[in-house]
Amino acid sequence: MHDEVQVTRARVRSTDVLVVLLLAVVAARFLLPGAFDGAAVRAWSTVFVAVCLQALPFLVLGVLLSAAISTLVPPSFFARALPRRPALAVPVAGAAGLVLPGCECASVPVAGSLVRRGVTPAAALAFLLSAPAINPVVLVATAVAFPDDPEMVVARFLASLAVAVVMGWLWSAFGRGEWLRPPVRHGHTAGTGRAAAFLGVVQHDLVHAGGFLVVGGLTAATLQVVVPRAWLDAVADEPVLAVLVLALLAVVLAICSEADAFVAAGLTSFSLSARLAFLVVGPAVDVKLVALQAGTFGSRFAVRFAPVTFVVAVAAAAFVGWWLL
Amino acid sequence: MSRLTQHLLLVLLGGVTLRVSLGEGYLAYVQAGFRPLLVAAGVVVLVVGLVGVLRARPGTDDGHPGPPVAWLLLAPVAVLLVVAPGPLGAWTAERQAAPVAAPRSDVPLGIGADDPGETYRTLTLSGYAIRTQQSDTAPLEGRDIRLVGFLSPREGGGWYLTRIRIACCAADASAVRVVLDGEVAGAADQWVEVVGRYAPSLPHPTEGYPEPALTPDVVTPVPAPADGYED
Repeated sequence: MHDEVQVTRARVRSTDVLVVLLLAVVAARFLLPGAFDGAAVRAWSTVFVAVCLQALPFLVLGVLLSAAISTLVPPSFFARALPRRPALAVPVAGAAGLVLPGCECASVPVAGSLVRRGVTPAAALAFLLSAPAINPVVLVATAVAFPDDPEMVVARFLASLAVAVVMGWLWSAFGRGEWLRPPVRHGHTAGTGRAAAFLGVVQHDLVHAGGFLVVGGLTAATLQVVVPRAWLDAVADEPVLAVLVLALLAVVLAICSEADAFVAAGLTSFSLSARLAFLVVGPAVDVKLVALQAGTFGSRFAVRFAPVTFVVAVAAAAFVGWWLL
Repeated sequence: MSRLTQHLLLVLLGGVTLRVSLGEGYLAYVQAGFRPLLVAAGVVVLVVGLVGVLRARPGTDDGHPGPPVAWLLLAPVAVLLVVAPGPLGAWTAERQAAPVAAPRSDVPLGIGADDPGETYRTLTLSGYAIRTQQSDTAPLEGRDIRLVGFLSPREGGGWYLTRIRIACCAADASAVRVVLDGEVAGAADQWVEVVGRYAPSLPHPTEGYPEPALTPDVVTPVPAPADGYED
């Protein structure tokens, strides 16, 4: 069986497959000029390309940062910077999320490289959840989007930080190492210079995370085209249902955390608490993010982490919303 | 998947990203201000891929198979090259329309003086829509107002003048619509310039919420603008 696979690989190389696929693309361009003119097809394509392009710069930033951490920062740095006890390292790492001005696509590869550098997974996960949600760019965007409700910024900060810390503590209490599959470092760059090692990590992570980003883009575009807005407005007056529906909407829309405040501001028929749930869930769990997490940490991790994060995020948003808004 | 294939995929992705962001194509997908970030990302991806291709030598392939998911990088490249999707239009407008919220202030928002050298005042579609929902519509009455947008069909006949608004990218699109309360001949997605007068809001044909309206006096077809989205 194994031999057969080897033989097939030797005969059909992946570069040949790529050439055939590219020829198919070119052929489709010239042979089927009108096949993609349907309004729904064009709208789907626009949203799909938009999600990919919007996320790409942040993904590239995250990959570059992650490669820098993996190849330029010595592991001893993190051992010194973070408290040794996970119970203390989690809130410190969560608060460190304040300084990475990116969206969730950037934080996944960075968290992956933190785990590889020996940071306790609980702390890396707290950073993964807090960085896209409480960084200054996101908080300023929220303040701009809700000029009449400044308490929204405070509520978002508190609820998102709480989610990050609670999830980190939950992981250190119940998490199992075998659920995590930190990406394997390919050995062939070892022994070469730092620049080559850096480039090797960037190439590997770009291809890998980029592929999962496309999975998220495909999912988000399809759901957007399938779910009309009118379904949402129908439930806006039911307080509990409204929170749940906007939390689910955040999962399926997969909007970048730097933009989600403007979308939430536009959902005027919903209560502030429901919109807070949208802002707290979005940067922590969405279809694009789950695909990226599955790619970075393995699917056994993602199927456990994402649902629990969703529940904790909805609970945190509901509590903070009830308390402050 | 060999390393060379991975690098070629990066070259393709970086290449189309640069092509779309250096032309005007990117305006269909993201905000105008996003361009520098897109160009930078495209350059990084392209250079990383090119360096990989140049350094790859036959025989050095270590048999380390790339992740199958990486094949999907071809999807955005193919969609951009084959479909080359344009800005969202009437189809999306019908699905993403929402009631216009009334401004909270007690003092009605004014619309300012007429455009220099003209007898009308140009407003954005959302600027007009908001002002029609305030309790005092006096600033709009007796004025000629110019709006630019595309036509989208209204349930039960007639047209809306429509703009799509995006906050960040086309995934967060919402629609602003103003009912053209009068006879207008046209086709969906046709861009027009309308000069008209304020009309009282009309109920949505099925949902019943008030929809901003305008009585059109002059409707002129215009070419679609490069950036058709409103902020």
